[in-house]
Amino acid sequence: MKRTFTYRLHIFLFLLPALILFVGILIAPIVMSAWYSVHDFNSISSTKMDFVGLDNYVTLFSREMINPETGKVFANDKFMGDALVNSLILAVLSVFIQLPLSLIIALKLSKGIRGERAYLSIFFMPVLISTVIIGRLWMNIYDPGKAGILNAALRATGADQWLFPWISGRITSSKLAFTGQWTGFRETALGAAFVPILWQYVGYHMLLMYAGIKGVPSELLEAAELDGCSEGQVNRHIIIPYIKPILKVSVIFAVTGSLKSFDLIYALMKDTTKAELPSTLMYKLLFLHNRYGLGSAIAVVLIVLCFAFALLITLAFRDKGEKVS
Amino acid sequence: MKKVFALILAAAMLLSMTHVFAEEKTVLTMWCIATESDANRPAYEAAIAAYEAAHPDVKIEWEAFENQSYKTKIKAAMSDPSTLPDIFFTWAGAFLGDFVNDGNVYCLDEAYQPFAESLPEVMLQNASYGGKHYGVPLTMNIVAMFANMDLLAEAGYDAVPTTYEDLIACCDALVEKGIIPFGCSGGETWCVTEYLEPIIEKTIGYEALNEIFAGRATWNDPAIAGAVDAFQEMITKGYFDPNGLSLGNDQVKANFIAGEYAFYQNGSWNCGEVNDAEGNFQVALFPVMDAEKATYGQVIGGPSDTLAVAATSKNPELAAQAAFELGKEICHYGYLAGSGLPAWTPDYDTSEVKPLVAAVADIVAKADGMVLFGDTAMSADPANTYLNFVSKVYGCEIDGAGFIESLTNALQ
Repeated sequence: MKRTFTYRLHIFLFLLPALILFVGILIAPIVMSAWYSVHDFNSISSTKMDFVGLDNYVTLFSREMINPETGKVFANDKFMGDALVNSLILAVLSVFIQLPLSLIIALKLSKGIRGERAYLSIFFMPVLISTVIIGRLWMNIYDPGKAGILNAALRATGADQWLFPWISGRITSSKLAFTGQWTGFRETALGAAFVPILWQYVGYHMLLMYAGIKGVPSELLEAAELDGCSEGQVNRHIIIPYIKPILKVSVIFAVTGSLKSFDLIYALMKDTTKAELPSTLMYKLLFLHNRYGLGSAIAVVLIVLCFAFALLITLAFRDKGEKVS
Repeated sequence: MKKVFALILAAAMLLSMTHVFAEEKTVLTMWCIATESDANRPAYEAAIAAYEAAHPDVKIEWEAFENQSYKTKIKAAMSDPSTLPDIFFTWAGAFLGDFVNDGNVYCLDEAYQPFAESLPEVMLQNASYGGKHYGVPLTMNIVAMFANMDLLAEAGYDAVPTTYEDLIACCDALVEKGIIPFGCSGGETWCVTEYLEPIIEKTIGYEALNEIFAGRATWNDPAIAGAVDAFQEMITKGYFDPNGLSLGNDQVKANFIAGEYAFYQNGSWNCGEVNDAEGNFQVALFPVMDAEKATYGQVIGGPSDTLAVAATSKNPELAAQAAFELGKEICHYGYLAGSGLPAWTPDYDTSEVKPLVAAVADIVAKADGMVLFGDTAMSADPANTYLNFVSKVYGCEIDGAGFIESLTNALQ
C-alpha cells in the first residue's frame, strides 16, 4: 500500500512542473479572459471592474444597438459578426485552395523529381521569413503608385483598362472609383490580405504532407505499380488515405489558423478596418479602445470556436467505428 | 617570479574591485518614442547628454519604442504600475488623464515652481487635471498646410490662398494643369483628421469644437455635416490623390516633398523635413469656411507631447526635477531642429531657427484659439470610435449626415 502511494507520489512530483506550466500558461489565461469578459474593465485600472454579465457578448453580436438616451437605433462599430464571416471565408479558402495546392506540390515533389530539395526549400522559405517582412513585401506589390508591381503589370498589359472599371462597378461601400488601391476598399482589401496569408503557409502544409508521403511503405507503392495502377490511382487509393492523419492536422491548423490570423493583416494595413478579422478587432478593443472586457469576450469566442472546429474536423476525419480521443 | 605573479594578481583583483568602492550613481529609467527614425531623436540624445553632464551622480537609462506599439506598452504597464519607468513619455489630454485618474502619475506641482518663469502655466493646461499639473510639455505642434510654391506658380498663384473660395479656385487651376492639389494618407486615419478637424473648426469655430471633444456637446450639428460634405466634395472632385486611400503617411509625405502634390496638411513637426527638402515651400492655415463662427487664426493643436513621472518611482522628486530639465532641453533642441514649436520660452539664440518653423511659430503667436487634436483630446474609446467614422468619411462610405448621426449615437 505504502509502496503504491510512494509510486503515485513520484508520478505526481514528476508531472508537477509540466502541470504548473500547463495551468499557468494555458488554463489560467483562458479562465482570466473568461472572467474579464463578463466585466466592464478599462485595462489601465485593475480595481475598477464592473460586472456586466453577458452584455459584452451581446454588444459583439449586435449589428445595431439602441441608444438608451435617444432611443434611436445606430450602427454598432464594435460588431464582430462581419469579422467572423471574414475569418470563415479565409478558413474556407485555406481548406479548398491552400491545402489542395500544398497536396499537389507535395505529391509532385515526393516522386523524386530533379531538384527536389531545392524546390522544398523554395516552397518552405515564406514560412521562415518574418511575417512583418512579408507584409512589407506585399505592401510594395499592392502599392497604388509607381512602385507597385501588381498595378504596373496590369497597366503594362492594358488589363487595368477593363479590370479597374469592372472592380469599380462592384464596389458598393464607397462612392469613389477603384484605380488600383487594393487595400483601400472593403471589397478588395480582404482579398488583398488573403493572397499573402494563403501563399505564406502553402510551404508549411506542403512539408507536413511531403513528410507523410515519404513515410508510405515502398512495398505498397511497388505492389500497386505491379498491379498496373496509374499515378492518379496510387495517389487516390494509397497515398491520400495513408496520410489522412496528416491531412486532418493540416485542416485543423488551417481552420484554427484562419480564426486566429492577425500578424500579416496587421503588417499589411495599419488601419485594418477594411479587412477586419476577430483578432484585429480584439487588438483594437483591447489596446486602442481600452475595452478589456469586450476584447476578452472576443478571445473567449475564438477559443471556443477553435476547440469546436478542431472537434468537428476530428469527427469528420474519423473512420467508421473509430473513437474520438 | 612567484612574488611578481602574486603581486600582479593582487593588483588585478584590486583594480576589478574599484567599482565597488566608487560612488554609485542614481539611475532614473525613462520610456519614450524617440526611435532612431524619429525626428525628435537627436533632441532627446542632446538633452539626456546635457542632463547627465549637469548631474554626474544621475544616470538616465532610456528606451525608445515605435509610436503605435508604445501606446500598447504604456497602457499594459499601467495595469501593473510596478513595471513603469521613473519617467515616461505620454500624450496630454485624455490619454494622460486616464492614467492620472487611476493614481498612476506623480503630481508635479511642487517640482514646477522653479521652472515657472520659463514655462508659462498655460502650456501645462492640457496635462492638468483637477487643478493639478501632471505632465511636462516638450514641444507643441499644430496642424499646418504646407504648400509647394513652385506648383502653385504653375497654376498662376504666387501666394497660398487664404479664403475658401480662392483655395477651391486654386485647386481647380491645379487640376486643370494636371497637378494633384492634396495628398492624404487613408492608411493612417489620424492623417485624415489633420484635414477634417481644421475644416470642421473653420466651420463651427474652435470653442464649439472644444466643447464636442470635451464631451460637453454632441456631434449632432448640421454645420458639421456640411463641413464633412464639403471635405468629401473636395475628394470626389479629384482634389485629393486617389491613391492616398491605401498609402501610408510616409509615402504621402515623400510624394509631397517630391513635388507630386501642391498641398500637404499635417503636423508642424514636419517643418524641419519640408524646410530641408529641395523646393520652394511655404506654410499656412486652412482658410475659413464660415466667417461668422470662425477666424483664420483658429488652429488645431497645442502642447501634447509630454513627460510624466510614475507614482511608483523610487525617486519621485528627483525624477520630477529631471523631467522638467529634460523637457526644457528636448524643447530647445527640437525647436532648433524644426521638429516642433517651443512650449518653453526660449532663453537661447533662435536666429538659426528654420524659416518654416519660424513661420509656424508666428502663426501660433497670432492664434485666436486652439483645439487639441481630437484623438488626444478624447479618451481612448470615444477617440477610436471617432477615428472609425473619420475613416469612413475619407472612403466616402458615409456622408456628413451619416457621420454626425452615427457618431452622436455611438458616443452617447
